[in-house]
Amino acid sequence: MSWISRLAARAPVPVFIAQGESAPDALARLALNPAIHVVDSPRAACILLISGRIPSALADCLNRLHDQLPHPRATVLWQSHAMEPFSNAVEVDASDDIANALSATFADLLAGDRPSEADILPDAPPNEWRGIGPHGQGGKGMMGGTPYGRPMAKTDDDIRDGLSLDAYTADFGPFLPMFPAGLALTLTLQGDMIQAVTVAHPPFEGDTAARERLLRLLGLSALALRSLHGQKGDGTFRRLVRLSRARAAIPADLGRLPDGSDVRSRFDAMVTGLQTAPASDTDMTLGDLLVGLEWHEALLVINSLDNATLRGVCARMDAPPDSTNDATHADHDMHAEHMG
Amino acid sequence: MTTIISIAGILALAVLFVGVLRAAGWSDFAGSATAPQQRPVLGGGDPQTHAWQRFHVRYYTMTLLFVAFEMEMMFMYPWAVVYVAEGGKALAEMGMFLAILSVGILYGWREGIFRWE
Repeated sequence: MSWISRLAARAPVPVFIAQGESAPDALARLALNPAIHVVDSPRAACILLISGRIPSALADCLNRLHDQLPHPRATVLWQSHAMEPFSNAVEVDASDDIANALSATFADLLAGDRPSEADILPDAPPNEWRGIGPHGQGGKGMMGGTPYGRPMAKTDDDIRDGLSLDAYTADFGPFLPMFPAGLALTLTLQGDMIQAVTVAHPPFEGDTAARERLLRLLGLSALALRSLHGQKGDGTFRRLVRLSRARAAIPADLGRLPDGSDVRSRFDAMVTGLQTAPASDTDMTLGDLLVGLEWHEALLVINSLDNATLRGVCARMDAPPDSTNDATHADHDMHAEHMG
Repeated sequence: MTTIISIAGILALAVLFVGVLRAAGWSDFAGSATAPQQRPVLGGGDPQTHAWQRFHVRYYTMTLLFVAFEMEMMFMYPWAVVYVAEGGKALAEMGMFLAILSVGILYGWREGIFRWE
């Protein structure tokens, strides 16, 4: 082990968390451990921590996430079930100390005692494109083709002013740190405004980290960490949030529900620790709440809703029967069209 | 002679600096990224289209207004210096220039630049 890897092994372990169903309660408090650095992007992580049960519908998403970690990388399964591609991952039970396991895996990885995990997905673009078409761009025409294996965006009317510009459609989640765990949305964006939304996977039941995510989104990561201590009636915490003027940073009248609450009032309730009754008797869909909002507003709305309400709102939207398959078919259809 | 030496010295330093940066970058990212690593980070999700796209630059009307007024002022200062000497000819030229610029401002007006939102 060279001196530089010994030095690197003493740094906090960069961990990206993929949270599954019924993950251990201690997961939320992992960020409080000084030996662990919970990162927001798999590109900054060294260890992928899979915690809880991952539904089989999300297995593909997990494989994509795993491959985005830079080398050297390792996977740790914490109170999770064994999955096919992660056969040589480190398994941690409820009785083991997760922080020790993560540090030990990190040190082994840097020392070279543990080989870096190979890609799960094949090293091929989503569609074949090289050398096809008059300029090798994968199709014909200025706007045709599939550069890097992805079809070009099609034009769509902007709902604000009807300008016909390119709409970007992508699946966001289910392991996005700024989304509730498990929530996967297919969003169509015009610039950063949400034009259409479909629920690809609803959030898992029993998510309680909404307050922490909301504070983090508002740029108050130190207060977000403090909120994890979870002491009821922490007067200093409430005063610090008030002094930060975070409430004024939330646009007024955002994400109003039929019960009269908006993001500001729900944020107040979260900070003071009041348990408001879930407003799950609304007949609003996620489309009613999010369409027309810009990305930052939409994230505030999503994270201001409690788990029961958000699950109710997501359930009212008819999810596509099998979104991943549909997406691949669409890819091929568009591809064929450009080829034709 | 000293000028040539100092220019050569600065060039050598620049080449050395770039060389060190390139070497550091090469050692950090040995090998090209595989196709799964080139995916955008969407928390496990996948984009359906390429991210190369046209979107609306929403500040363009403000830019138009800024350019119209700024160009006006830029031309007016030297014009004011020669106006007394040139007389009526300079006045006519400035009139033509302002007429063209005001078309841009009128267009902006129609587009609603002056509406406060």
